[in-house]
Order: sequence, then C-alpha cells, then structure tokens
Amino acid sequence: MAPMPSKVPLLEINIAMPWARPVPDVFWFDRDLRVWLSAQQGPAPLAIVISGTGSDGNTSKLSILRGALFGAGYHVLTVPSPTFPGFIVSASSTGVAGDLMQDSRDLYAALQQIIAHLPRRVRITDIDVLGYSLGGANAAVVKSIDAKEGKLKIHRAVMIDPPVSLFASVGRLDKLFAVSIGTGDDAIEILYRKLYAELANLYRASDRVQIDESFLLGAAATALKTDEEFSSAIALAFRLDLVDMFFAGDLYARTGVVVDPDHPPKVSDSLEETQRILRNKPFSEYFARVFAPYYLKQRPGATSASLIADSRLDIIGDSLRDNPDYYAQSNSDDLILDKRELTWLRDTLGSRIVVYDHGGHLGNIGERQQVSDMLDMLAGRWRGAAQ
Amino acid sequence: MRPAALVVLIAVALGGCVSQSISIRRVPSENPAAENAAAAESAAAFAAAAALAAEGETAQGARESKPAQPPITPADAPSMASYDPFERLNRFTYRFNARFDETVFLPVSNVYRRIPSPIRSGVHNFFGNLSEVDSVINYSLQWRLKLGLRSLGRFVINSTLGLGGLIDVAAKFKLPGAPTGAGTTLAKWGVRPGPYLVIPLLGPSTLRDGFGFLADYGSLYAIDIGRLYRGNVSWWLGGTNAVDQRANVDFRYYSTGSPFEYENVRFLYVRKRLIEDAGLRGK
Repeated sequence: MAPMPSKVPLLEINIAMPWARPVPDVFWFDRDLRVWLSAQQGPAPLAIVISGTGSDGNTSKLSILRGALFGAGYHVLTVPSPTFPGFIVSASSTGVAGDLMQDSRDLYAALQQIIAHLPRRVRITDIDVLGYSLGGANAAVVKSIDAKEGKLKIHRAVMIDPPVSLFASVGRLDKLFAVSIGTGDDAIEILYRKLYAELANLYRASDRVQIDESFLLGAAATALKTDEEFSSAIALAFRLDLVDMFFAGDLYARTGVVVDPDHPPKVSDSLEETQRILRNKPFSEYFARVFAPYYLKQRPGATSASLIADSRLDIIGDSLRDNPDYYAQSNSDDLILDKRELTWLRDTLGSRIVVYDHGGHLGNIGERQQVSDMLDMLAGRWRGAAQ
Repeated sequence: MRPAALVVLIAVALGGCVSQSISIRRVPSENPAAENAAAAESAAAFAAAAALAAEGETAQGARESKPAQPPITPADAPSMASYDPFERLNRFTYRFNARFDETVFLPVSNVYRRIPSPIRSGVHNFFGNLSEVDSVINYSLQWRLKLGLRSLGRFVINSTLGLGGLIDVAAKFKLPGAPTGAGTTLAKWGVRPGPYLVIPLLGPSTLRDGFGFLADYGSLYAIDIGRLYRGNVSWWLGGTNAVDQRANVDFRYYSTGSPFEYENVRFLYVRKRLIEDAGLRGK
C-alpha cells in the first residue's frame, strides 16, 4: 500500500442543477447532486475523480484515491458516475444513462456548476481529471469536451482501468453472470438460497452472538475461494447496479418495461415485484428496450450499431493519440477488456499507458506502484513504464 | 431546557443554513493511514479465515461438542419475498427516519465525532456497561448462564476497575462484550420474528424485536441504576446515548441513491435476524 496522510478533511456538497427536471416521486431523496471535496489550506491544483459504474462519489476506492491525491497536495473533488441513480435524477439531461458522450456532457456541465459554487477560500491553480472503470472513460471524454469548450481548462486526464467499448465490457459482465449465476428467472433465488444456508451454517458453528462486520468478512472468505466465486460476486454487484439504472431509464424514457409511464409508482408503493423482475434482466435487455428506443428517437439516422460504436473510446481516439495530456493505467488480466481492446489502448496511448501484470479490474488501486505512477502522470513527470 | 426543544432548535437552525440550491457541510475527516492499517489487518483476517476454510469443513465439526444439528440446506432458506403487512406505514416511517436523520441525527452525531476519540469511547463504554445489566437478565432467561456470567463479570469489573464503566477493562481480561436483549430471548423461546416493522427514530426491526426493545428499555427503567433512567438527567442521558449509537453506525439513508433502498434494507435486516435465530437454535 502506498503511504497515506493521517488526516484528510472532508466537505460534503449538495447542489441542485439549474436544468434538473421535476424529481419523480420515488426518487425524492435524489434531488441534489452530492459530491465530496477535500481542500488544501493554500492554492493547489484540483483533482476531480469520477466514480465507476453505478457508484456514488464516496466509495472506498475513491477514498483511497482521495487520500493519495490529497497527500500529494491536490484539492480533491470526488463525484458520482453519471450512471449512479443520484446523478441520473439530479443532473442527467436524459435520465437514460449509458451513452458515453451524453453522460460525459452532463457531467461536464455539472462540474462547471460545482466548481463555480466552491467556497472562495479554495484556490485552484490547475484542474486535472481522473476516474476508475467507466469513470476513467468519462474523465477522458470530459477533458476532450473541455478542449473544445474551454470552460474549465482541464490540464491532464488519467484513466484507471477504463473500458474501451462500454457495451462490449458490460456484455462480458452479462456473460459472466450467465455463466457463474445462471440465466433462469430463479437464478438469483438459487444463489441466494445457497448463500443463506452457507451463512447460517457458518454462524451456527461460530461462537459469535451477533452477526457483525468481522463475521461477514470471515464468511466472505469462506464463500469466495475460487476465481469463479469472485466472478459471480462481481457479476452480481454489476447486476444490482443495473437494476437501479434500468428502473430510472425506464421511468424517464417512458418505455414501459416495468414502469407504467402514465401511472409511475408513488413513494408509498411497494417496489418488491418491480425489483424482482428487473434483477433477472441483463444489460442487453436494457439496451434493446430502453436505451436504444430512447436514443434512436432522439437521433434521427442512428442505428443500434451506431449507438454501440458511439460508446467506444474511439470517439476521442485522435485526441488520445495526439494529445500528450491523456494517460491510462490498466491490467493485463482486467476482465472488462479483451486482448484486442488492450492492444488498441496500447497503440493509441503509446508510452502514456502502463499495463500491470496483475490487478484484475480495480484490484490494485491504492498499491504503491499504481499510486506513484498515477501521481507521476498527473504531474507530467511520467516518462513511460520502466522496461 | 428540555432536549426535545433543543432538537427542534437545531433542526430550525440547520434548515436556515441550507439555501435552496447548495449546501456545504463539514463531515468527519478521513484517516487513510489508519484505514490502510485496518485494511491490511482485515485482509490478513480474510486470508486467515480463507485458510481455515481451506482446512475443510471438518474443523468446524470437530470444534462442535454439542449434539450435531442437521445442517441448514438451501431448501431451508426462507423465500426472498418479505412479510410486511404494515408496508404503507413502514414506508412512511422509513421516510420520516431518513429525513430526521439527515436534518438532526446525522449533523449532531457528526459534531459529536469531532470530540477526541478517547472521550467518545468513554461515553460509548459507559452506555455499553449500563446495558450489561439487561444482558445478564436476558442471558439468564435464555438459559445461557455462561454468557450471563460473562456479562455480569464485565459489569462488575468495568463498574469498579473501569471507573464506572468508562473504560472497558474486562475486554483486556479476554472478556469481550456480547450484548443480548429481550428480542433474542423471545427468539430463543421460539417466538417468530413476525412482520417487519420500522420503528420511528430507531429504524428496521420486527414486531417481536420491537416488543423486545420495549422490554429492554422497561427493565433498565425499572432497575434505574443510579437514578439515571428516571431522574433529572434521564433526558440528557437518553439523547447522548442516541447520538453515541448513531455516531457508531456507518449507515447513511439513501446513500445508495436506489429507489429500492427500502426493499434492500428490509431484505438484509430480516435475513440477518433469521440467520441469528437459526443459529440460536443450535447454541
């Protein structure tokens, strides 16, 4: 682990976006966009860190990056992924998350609002942007938008374990789910029953009185022994995020998969059945029944194939290739990339990417090497990976 | 001034600070260095637990001296659906709790968390020590006398050597706390959890555990150690206890942003209790 400071001050900022639409009843708690700022005492560069798929701006991964960046002298602003329900409701202009360019535009607009409203004592000398997983791709696209609009004058962008093609990556997670958990309507129920029995037997055999964090940690260690079991945990986590995104998209796009567009659920209504239906639906169904219908209507001339192509990092390929201020970190065993995509990243970024041998997807965030390389990249000290 | 009035004042004051479009709040700072150490520790614990598991399930059986229970099978797992006949009321209460937490409870506990941690753990230990009395009663009622004796021992040691409960000396004598309550006693007696219940200010519970909570409070009130529960200080004490409890729970309403949070919390809470019940029958 990289060395870390012992105290990182934290401000929580809740801010309403002027363009926000009326908040649907069931999302009453997501009216404001919530972000977190750790400010230095004096003038300093600002590092904006974007969260991964479906996650808010205060995950444990962000906490690690915040510590490292604050320790290196940055003001640190951590923000949710544009696919996080809180972002979809408070700051998305579409309500239908997953389009790399549109989501990044919304994020760029939100960042301008946030930075304009920061306390005056926070003196910013320069702005860099980074992100992990999908947030990495968002970070690079945000920088490319800024290169044209110039509202924030973002200097450098660092992508940590980014996808190359959004839909190919989530397709892999769908497949992982199908292989490790199953495809039937009762696949989750079967997994749940297995986990329940396992936990109950472990608890019975232990001499603990209550189920607490340390018990769950031990239980996780016994449940997650093989790569397959880790895979199913990753696939399940992704599916649970998708359920929220699917619901929000269906509500906003009025596509009627689970939400009746004319009678959306009220805050007092049970959503158990809706949730049960959604947790059996893969991303491909979100794409076919919510995302594509919505965007095809918005963009005359678009096709499903063009929508998929538009959510590839290729859309900013030229900038990634020619502009020396884009950087990336990846792992050769990252399950969201295939060989061809990793090669594309290497060819496009050249010496501005470092690929570690191990780390999987996000497994090495916070490790000494990852952190020091990231800081070198952000500061413009990076001279290519040691051979 | 009555604490209830104070609470209202704080709520109004906070409401006044929050403008329509933006609010900025200081929240407890992070300590990545310590978190790093904790993460390394938990990774080690994880590895140790995994190694133990790798030794085989036989080790578990060997430790067990009691008559073997048939293992719980996936078929024994309760359905994923929840028994929640009071759902409308519960959802209302959940929402109320979320708002109350956001405007009063959480801001106050965030201020509380700025107090140096030795003082806070003193407060925490003090209340924990008082509740040992309830644990002694309930372990006795559950006929788990060894654990009851442990709680009694903890209470005696901490009340004396631990300066009235401020220091958890007993934990250093290898007597770590293991609180129990009337909800668990009812479970031991075979009472099922019953419907899910969201208790105002308190949060997720079940009908059985709700009665358990009343019984726990009732017995502490009846015994009234040091006139702390019925005397003039009881309001302050109750408030401090509540804030201390809140500051030690790492939960933020709607931090998941999910429209299914009510369902998710209910699911996890009820499963946790059911597993504890199932475990209780084997102990």
